[in-house]
Amino acid sequence: MTEPLQFWMVALLFLPLIGAIAAFVLPRHAPIVGMGVALGVTGAAVGLCWQVQSVGTGTVALGGWGAPLGINLHVDGLSAAMLAMTAGVGAVVSMGAVNTFGGRVARSAETARPRQYFWPLWLLLLTGLNGVYLGTDIFNLYVMIEVIALAAVGLTVLSGSLAALRAGLDYMFASILGALLLLMGVGFVYLQLGRLDFGGLAGADPSGALVAALALMFVGLALKTALFPLHFWLPAAHANATAPASALLSALVVKAALYIIVRLLQHMPAPGEALVVLMGLMGTGAILWGSVQALRADRLKLLVAWSTVTQIGLIFVALAQAGVAGLAHSWKAAAVLILAHGVAKGAMFLAAGRIRAEVGHDRIRDLDRSPVRPALAQLAFAFAAVSLIGLPPSLGFIGKWMVMEGALAAGNWHWVVITMTGTLFSLAYFSRVFAGFLRFDRVEADVPGGVVEQRGRAPMDYAPLALAALGVALGLVAAPILEFLEIGRAGGWP
Amino acid sequence: MTDLLLLFDMLLGLLIIGLAVAALRVRDLFAMVVMFVTFGLMTALAWVRLAAPDVALAEAAIGTGVTGALLLKTLYHLRRVSGTLHLPEALSERPPDPQVPRAVIAANAVMCGLVVIGLAAAFVTAPLGGPGFDAAVADAMPESGVDHPVTAVLLNFRAYDTLMEVVVLLAAVIAVWLVERSLPQSDPPVMGEVYEGFARLVLPGAVVVGVYVLWAGAVAPGGAFQGGAVLAAVGLLLLMSHVYEPAPAHRAAARGLFVLGVAVFTGVALLVAWGGRAVFEYPPGLAKPLILLIEGMVTISIAATLAALFHGREPGVQPRPADTSEGAQ
Repeated sequence: MTEPLQFWMVALLFLPLIGAIAAFVLPRHAPIVGMGVALGVTGAAVGLCWQVQSVGTGTVALGGWGAPLGINLHVDGLSAAMLAMTAGVGAVVSMGAVNTFGGRVARSAETARPRQYFWPLWLLLLTGLNGVYLGTDIFNLYVMIEVIALAAVGLTVLSGSLAALRAGLDYMFASILGALLLLMGVGFVYLQLGRLDFGGLAGADPSGALVAALALMFVGLALKTALFPLHFWLPAAHANATAPASALLSALVVKAALYIIVRLLQHMPAPGEALVVLMGLMGTGAILWGSVQALRADRLKLLVAWSTVTQIGLIFVALAQAGVAGLAHSWKAAAVLILAHGVAKGAMFLAAGRIRAEVGHDRIRDLDRSPVRPALAQLAFAFAAVSLIGLPPSLGFIGKWMVMEGALAAGNWHWVVITMTGTLFSLAYFSRVFAGFLRFDRVEADVPGGVVEQRGRAPMDYAPLALAALGVALGLVAAPILEFLEIGRAGGWP
Repeated sequence: MTDLLLLFDMLLGLLIIGLAVAALRVRDLFAMVVMFVTFGLMTALAWVRLAAPDVALAEAAIGTGVTGALLLKTLYHLRRVSGTLHLPEALSERPPDPQVPRAVIAANAVMCGLVVIGLAAAFVTAPLGGPGFDAAVADAMPESGVDHPVTAVLLNFRAYDTLMEVVVLLAAVIAVWLVERSLPQSDPPVMGEVYEGFARLVLPGAVVVGVYVLWAGAVAPGGAFQGGAVLAAVGLLLLMSHVYEPAPAHRAAARGLFVLGVAVFTGVALLVAWGGRAVFEYPPGLAKPLILLIEGMVTISIAATLAALFHGREPGVQPRPADTSEGAQ
């Protein structure tokens, strides 16, 4: 505890938990508590990254017992990067939420209750996310996933609309089923190895039973991260939530299960070639099906939600790009894409929420008829799309470049084709939205004053804009980011 | 003697499977709940036979008792909303069959089949008895501060997991308070005189049992979750007999009770780290009192939370008309 690195790790876990308690007990002050904790967590994440950069990895043995009897927290480059992304996106979304739900004084009874409940749920979600990124024990990861799941379901139904409640119920069923499969897998691993920590998993003899147990865990996690064809719950859940909640669900929540899959691949003894090919095929399905659905979506937020499905698929293609032998490198491409998607999607959902608030609807077909053009929010949306499509110099571009480079080096040109197809599709469906932003000839004529590009601007537009710009600019410092991700992996993949 | 027990175990296993199938097959919702509760009790018995009395207590108290009460309340609510409360034939009302495309059913069947194959493979090829934590737990028991290994694991060796499980319960009650505002109010049923007398008789006993189960957890099966569930039953009785009526003025107190366990647990975990120890590392000698303090507070929180989940809404919140708009800002 005296070491600064360990201090930041414990702070990242307990600060949001204490904040959640305070925000729930003091509902009137929830926005201040929540915003303060979000900024505090960002500070702690920066401190942690600084320490990881200078001293390397760190471990906290909770209770002083140490693994395998006790539970260890561990941080390396990948964990620290995920924590920093979560904290940064979370802080920006919190700013957006202060705007959406009103500050100290609720603007109406309609926003009073969502405002009261958003903060404790979001801070509990943050606790769970940070716990996953610090965790090294598969049972503990299951518990953290449950914390995330309940908080996320709460955020999904925050608006209280019928569509949101229905989507939230579907999400909860999918989520519980996924958690159950994960738990059964964990149970079978424990039965065979007698321990639950990553260290025990890495040292185990690969056996048929262990593969079956890990396959169960994989299916449960795929359901949680909405990998095709287990994505059915995601579009409705993410599209019907309030904008800040959508941003959190899409940018952060699905990443927790995805991160656990990456960690399992890292620590499991001899992942089979079949599993890796299966991941690539499911990812391909997600890219194609998600793209078609995004092209057909009639509402802006639904399109953005389907784009999450395709991006999750892309991340699995990134993991599969070079087969089992290539995992030692391909996890980095996946990690870069996870970070890029988190930053860009958080910005995009906030921007979509602002556009909807200013225009009054989010039907893509009628965006170009609106005389109101919230220029800053549209710019934020476009910047986020640049990173998601993968145009240089964005972080998304670096990720896709690494996927294609790795796939070519391994001779797997089919993954290159898939990645390119996904990129073209994403250009196509985001262009539907851009056309709505940029066409002016269909604006209904009799509007006094004509098109008002300046209307629909608010100081709150700068939050998603800054986040989206960050997603683009991070591509310029890709080399240090990649170096940072490798901290604790000096020997590459174990 | 062994043969008789073996016969009993086999019959119990068959009965459990049969009850599970019956609960899924039967279309009468009330019968379904009854089947489920019976299934839970038989499963608890199976846990006893598997020499896992802690799990058996949890299954009986939470998996069967509290869940059964929640299901019955939901059924009552559904029938009240649909206006079929006083129609005797509504008891066997079927839920409408949703129209699902054949392709979706086929895809579901394939995927469920794959999962079942995975489960079967994991089960068949698994060793009969794994090494487990038994040896490590036995070694560390003297330093744990308690005499019951399960409690030592839950409250000391892996206290972090337990803290987060209590956090899950907190998240659940927050989500329920959030959701329930958009549903119409349904008053709990009015209980007759027999029930009132029953409640008066059972209440003090339940309190004693709950506290005992908690206290016994240090040396024998029992503990916070089981004790909390028994005390929650006290809360259920109070709610249903209208001895206690939730009022808006009680909201702050309720919130305080929900977070009490998490707050004390977190506080202890962090405060013991003050003197250069790790988080959750109880100082020697103080382990037992600290564990009892945490368990006591967590029990209160669990009891309050489970009772609140049964009540299902923030006290005094007026329902608002259902919002049928397709999305929300």
